[in-house]
Amino acid sequence: MEFLLEIMTEELPSSHVKSALAQLEEKFSEEMRNSGLETSELRAIGTCRRLVLVADLGERQPDQEEIVTGPPRTAGLAPDGSFTQAALGFARSQGISVDNLQVLTTARGEYLGFKRLKKGKSTPEILEEKLPALIAALSFPKTMRWSDKSFRFSRPIKGLLCLFGGQIVRVSLEGLVASSQTYGHFIHRPQELSVHSYQEYYQALKDNLVLVDPAERKEKILDGFQKKLSSLKAQVYPDDRLLERLLWNIECPLVIMGSFPESYLSLPLEVLSTAMREGQQLFSVVRGKKQLPYFLGIADAPADPKGYILAGNERVLKARLEDARFFWENDLKVSLAERADQLSAVIFQEKLGSYADKVARVEELVSYIADRLNLRNIKKDLLEAARLSKADLLTEMVREFPELQGKIGGIYAQRQGWSETASRAIYEHYLPVSWEDPIPDSTGGAILSLADKLDTIVGIIGTGYAISGSSDPYGLRRNALGVVRIILDKKFHLSLYRLVDKSISLLQKKLTLPAEQVKTACLELMAGRVRFIFEKRGYGYDLITAALAPGLDYLDFTEARIKALNSLKSSKNFEQFILMVKRVKNILKEAPKSRLDPARLSEKEEKELYSALNIIKKNAEEMMVRGDFAGAQKIIFRLQAPLNNFFDRVLVMAEDKKIRNNRLALLSQVQSLIDQLADYSQIVVTSENS
Amino acid sequence: MMSMQNLILALSRYWAGQGCYLAPTYDLEVGAGTMTPDTFFRVLGRKPWRVAYVQPSRRPTDGRYGENPHRVQKHFQFQVIVKPSPLNIQRIYLDSLVSLGINLSEHDLRFDEDDWESPTIGAWGVGWQVMLDGLEITQFTYFQQAGGLELFPVSVEITYGLERLEMFLEQKDNIYDLKWSDDVSYRDLRFREEKEFSIYNFEQADIAMLQSSFNGAEKEARRLIDQKLLLPAYDYCLKCSHLFNLLDARKAISVTERVKMIGQIRTLVNQIARLYADEEGEN
Repeated sequence: MEFLLEIMTEELPSSHVKSALAQLEEKFSEEMRNSGLETSELRAIGTCRRLVLVADLGERQPDQEEIVTGPPRTAGLAPDGSFTQAALGFARSQGISVDNLQVLTTARGEYLGFKRLKKGKSTPEILEEKLPALIAALSFPKTMRWSDKSFRFSRPIKGLLCLFGGQIVRVSLEGLVASSQTYGHFIHRPQELSVHSYQEYYQALKDNLVLVDPAERKEKILDGFQKKLSSLKAQVYPDDRLLERLLWNIECPLVIMGSFPESYLSLPLEVLSTAMREGQQLFSVVRGKKQLPYFLGIADAPADPKGYILAGNERVLKARLEDARFFWENDLKVSLAERADQLSAVIFQEKLGSYADKVARVEELVSYIADRLNLRNIKKDLLEAARLSKADLLTEMVREFPELQGKIGGIYAQRQGWSETASRAIYEHYLPVSWEDPIPDSTGGAILSLADKLDTIVGIIGTGYAISGSSDPYGLRRNALGVVRIILDKKFHLSLYRLVDKSISLLQKKLTLPAEQVKTACLELMAGRVRFIFEKRGYGYDLITAALAPGLDYLDFTEARIKALNSLKSSKNFEQFILMVKRVKNILKEAPKSRLDPARLSEKEEKELYSALNIIKKNAEEMMVRGDFAGAQKIIFRLQAPLNNFFDRVLVMAEDKKIRNNRLALLSQVQSLIDQLADYSQIVVTSENS
Repeated sequence: MMSMQNLILALSRYWAGQGCYLAPTYDLEVGAGTMTPDTFFRVLGRKPWRVAYVQPSRRPTDGRYGENPHRVQKHFQFQVIVKPSPLNIQRIYLDSLVSLGINLSEHDLRFDEDDWESPTIGAWGVGWQVMLDGLEITQFTYFQQAGGLELFPVSVEITYGLERLEMFLEQKDNIYDLKWSDDVSYRDLRFREEKEFSIYNFEQADIAMLQSSFNGAEKEARRLIDQKLLLPAYDYCLKCSHLFNLLDARKAISVTERVKMIGQIRTLVNQIARLYADEEGEN
């Protein structure tokens, strides 16, 4: 039968709606499973004003057999098999005839008792019992109290609607009792609506200006965009985050399109779109990369009969653009270099000093990276960029629109005559801000971003901050992901180990933890991000573990290793080879360390293995230096034949200890060569179980 | 019909009708209506409270020499506190807009997530900015903490930005074109003040004098706390806060000092709040 729950609230933040719906769906389905109620077609939908669950539920819990135990058998049955007083008393207390008692074997021993059918509860009973706690257990990033209640929720709860099979289920929570009533649009149709089914509920809301299904709202919005734009041959500047936010904030979407005076088009696109998005939540309209003097907005209203909504938005936007122009003109009056000189007064982080300190370190790192990558031609520009990179923190534009940091610095730098390379590097150096964000396009931007992020990671970790669970206030994971993505995607051949060392040495005096510990923690963080990226690229978990085992010093090599493994994994020798490697590893597990003495090798097969190993090793290592891991891996497969012969004909565990240790030493040389490529023993092969 | 004073009259009448006491404007410089004793002290403790008042609010860094059509270093707030927060307070608020003659069915009104905090007085709350056709006209907050204390019951604070609302009602693009009364404009009353105070705030305020006044006021507040003269002590905290804002406008405060000075004021305010709440608890 149909179940419908609506929790009416004051306007929840849009991120809270989404998470609450996901939690509701999960917790409800779990609760019903635990209660033994059949659940199907469970859906969680809603808006910022209502969280809604719909499902088809069984009518009641199935009846369950219940075991009731009384006295132990020895106390309940006399030696002659007759019931004792204890048994008679127990039967009486349970209201059953003593003849129904039987001997039951339990975990604690044998008892007298009986089985009875426990009647399942009806679904409304279960809902009344479970829903209040389920609602109260929803978690939010921030909660509040209201009125004189101690109850906490994201925003105040206004009412509950709960129906099962068309009947009201009297769920009660904090003084509210569920009914069959809801309300239409809070501003435009606040009337009470009485409903008996989801279909009625959905339709009544729709008639009263609420589209309760987010998919429908989204369709209406996108459709509205298209209608407004078709005549203009223009596109909406994509902003999924804003769209997502508005999707939950609005019950009755109405797309409006307005314009602003063309004179504001002299402001950069970045400034225009930020001024529109922040505060007013408007979308920019572009043709290709060119900003047009139009905007799109989504109102929460059925119509704009007198044009007030559009005119109001236009008026406010104009004021904001006027402000932005004021900041733009004022900011340009002061040179970025002059602002950079004032950075010593701006704290980067309490223990790590000012932004001037940070910039000085970043300059050193940039210089180091440029040298390693042989980028002498742009080094001067990059140092300039590093020096100016944080100057825009002191501009009015960034004070007003913090998310423009970096970008606006780059734009100002270009306007004030710095080179294209330097300006671009500044512009891009916060990228990537998120996983979806691109990495810097220019080499300079990539290097500056890398240096800036590395300094933050090493500094924050080195002063004792550890990431735990969801707590990562300095965004270390995001920064580390940026570092890894940049090195990988830009194919920078850089030693990550030495880069971290360099950064540690620059921060030396400020760090509160020992250098070795800092380095290990930083590399561990990066290894986690490398894994994440490889997983996203579709590599198997076992291959990733295998390829990461030799370390992540040169990330381009780490990547080459996993690519090689991945391309070889379907070749016919692969499985055999893996099994062989596992065999070697097993034998060596408890082997003592000893030196190989070639002169002591006596059997033909061990001599052959030894000479094959030497040739293969020489070739493979040459290939690895060049980064040709696919080649190296193929060569190493050639160890298979001599290894096979060795295992077939030679007894590794020879009686003579010296011979035995020498053979183990030979195998351990084999292993150490293989280890440079991957920890093959991590790889799961199908034939293993057979 | 439309003018700042009619707006003030209409809101006053509406909220008086909701049982609010109409408080006179507080006679010290404050950054927001939240900071006056009629809000700060009354949201502490368990006693119910309903108040509404106009409060001039000074934000020196927002000065624009009278040249910007929207930003001013002093604006007027209409502040409402209702404690405990009624369950239908949003509807009561919407009706206040209707009482101003706004026909909500012709507009787009939204409650947009916007939590509020004031580190200076150790206060924070949860709520929204109310947007009317894209214009923020009200800050709507359920106070959770003030003076570092958890609040119970919870007060709701409704702060109307009077100039914003009036610009909406008059459909004006320039704040100075607003009417205060039928024959007095906002420009008549405020233009010269904005210009002179902008010059003062940004260029002329004597940094050394402000600094020593800050130190003096801070010391006085501490002394008064020891004397259990909580209301006078709080006045001196308000003076500190305004002097701090002036120093900030003069760009005379580094980031470290900023944190330190805000912390100094908060420590005093928190002490005052605790002592006040303790006394209230005894009564």
